[in-house]
Amino acid sequence: MSTNQALVVRDLKKKYPKADALKGVSLSLPQGEIWGLLGPNGSGKSTLLKCVVGLVTPDGGDITISGQPPSRETKAQVAFVPEVENLYRWMTIRQAIDFTATFYEDWEHERVEELLNFMRLDPTKKISSLSKGMRARLKLILALSRRAPLILLDEPFSGIDPASRDRIVEGIVRQFKSEEQTMIISTHAVGDTEQLFDAVVFLDEGTVSLQGNAEDLRRQYGRSINDLFKEVFA
Amino acid sequence: MKSFLRLLRKDLEASRWPMGFLSAITLGIMLLVSLKIATGGWPTQAAVAAVTFPLVFLPLWVLWQSFQTLRTEWREDTVYTLLVLPEPGWKIMLAKLSAILLEYTVLLVVTVVGMLIFFFPMVQEAMLVLPGAGWVVRNGILLYVFSLFMIASTIIFVQLAFVVSKMVGRLQGLVALWTLLLSGWLVDRLGILLEPLFGWIPTIPVHALFRLNELKQGMVADWNIAPEIGTWLGTLALLVLTSYLFEHYVEVNG
Repeated sequence: MSTNQALVVRDLKKKYPKADALKGVSLSLPQGEIWGLLGPNGSGKSTLLKCVVGLVTPDGGDITISGQPPSRETKAQVAFVPEVENLYRWMTIRQAIDFTATFYEDWEHERVEELLNFMRLDPTKKISSLSKGMRARLKLILALSRRAPLILLDEPFSGIDPASRDRIVEGIVRQFKSEEQTMIISTHAVGDTEQLFDAVVFLDEGTVSLQGNAEDLRRQYGRSINDLFKEVFA
Repeated sequence: MKSFLRLLRKDLEASRWPMGFLSAITLGIMLLVSLKIATGGWPTQAAVAAVTFPLVFLPLWVLWQSFQTLRTEWREDTVYTLLVLPEPGWKIMLAKLSAILLEYTVLLVVTVVGMLIFFFPMVQEAMLVLPGAGWVVRNGILLYVFSLFMIASTIIFVQLAFVVSKMVGRLQGLVALWTLLLSGWLVDRLGILLEPLFGWIPTIPVHALFRLNELKQGMVADWNIAPEIGTWLGTLALLVLTSYLFEHYVEVNG
């Protein structure tokens, strides 16, 4: 197995009581790229990311992160931003930062201050008083303040106002270090984020319907990824 | 250690409002009862009820809090944060257990302090029939230490029941209830089963430990600890099992 593969997923299956979320997904993500995990709601994007970080247990298949199966050690290598509001609402922004920083050796204190300024967040504010856009920016700060080799962002733009979305996109572009990091961004809103992706995977009802280098796909199909997405999932 | 303390602090801070509320309620009830007694509205025996009420209520609160502290993580989706931490499951579960034990201690202290503030004349009266302040403090501390074991076991049973229920997609409440009952029965059986193994351990002379002779001459009470050891070992094994399941098999809501 090539060790420069940040993430390899083979024949991954996950069944929930009411649906088959993943029906044998296989992917191989080389280091240093930003991948778009694209698909409509219920296509299995979140489940795939949850399997990678150990939030759900797959029913079949296997996952390797930098050549290792998921474990406590790989958890230390992955920065994950879930779609749900996973922050302790009674904490202030500073408390949430200090709490998260305790557990990760790759935490960069200088980077967090820079990101707080860039994302225009006041660290003394309580999380419960923040807007959805501000909370989304905070979640991104908690992930990007680490030098994690693998960053997984699950629907980071969902329900976010355009101003926050632009900040988040700019934040990702500024902080992503392609020489040492790999990023997966799952989204069903391709429009504004298309320029971020080096490669894309289209997930449809738990299976990969299309994947490849973003530029190659644009050339091959003669249209943007956004238009391709609309066509595939129309 | 640093990460354990951070988890413990998080759990303690998360409970500070309910803790403040419960402390206020406990003191409020005692204040009310003491005022009623002072104005002759209620008999002095009402003080016993006012002190006993929080002590009876505490184990129920522990049961609820053990369940609630985990349920809140799932309900508010903060379990996403906990489960992705590169920390062993035992650290997370032990932090929760320690937080509840500390909260139990705080509520116990509030009750004792409230009793001393609001019912001091009655405490003085009771002291007349007891061997002395030293005897009361010593026995109080011993009872507190024994209660910690009971409380910790309860928390461990509830934690296991909750974690197991989160491993199934359906009938989570029923699974939790059955796991709770089964784990209690299991450690009880284990205690009986392993009793011969620990039969060599001498019985504990409770009358000497609690200096019961100072209360009533000739009082003798021995405690055969052999079956308890098996029960404690079983409870400890359940804590290890819960931590393992939490780290490796538990899932967020689908």
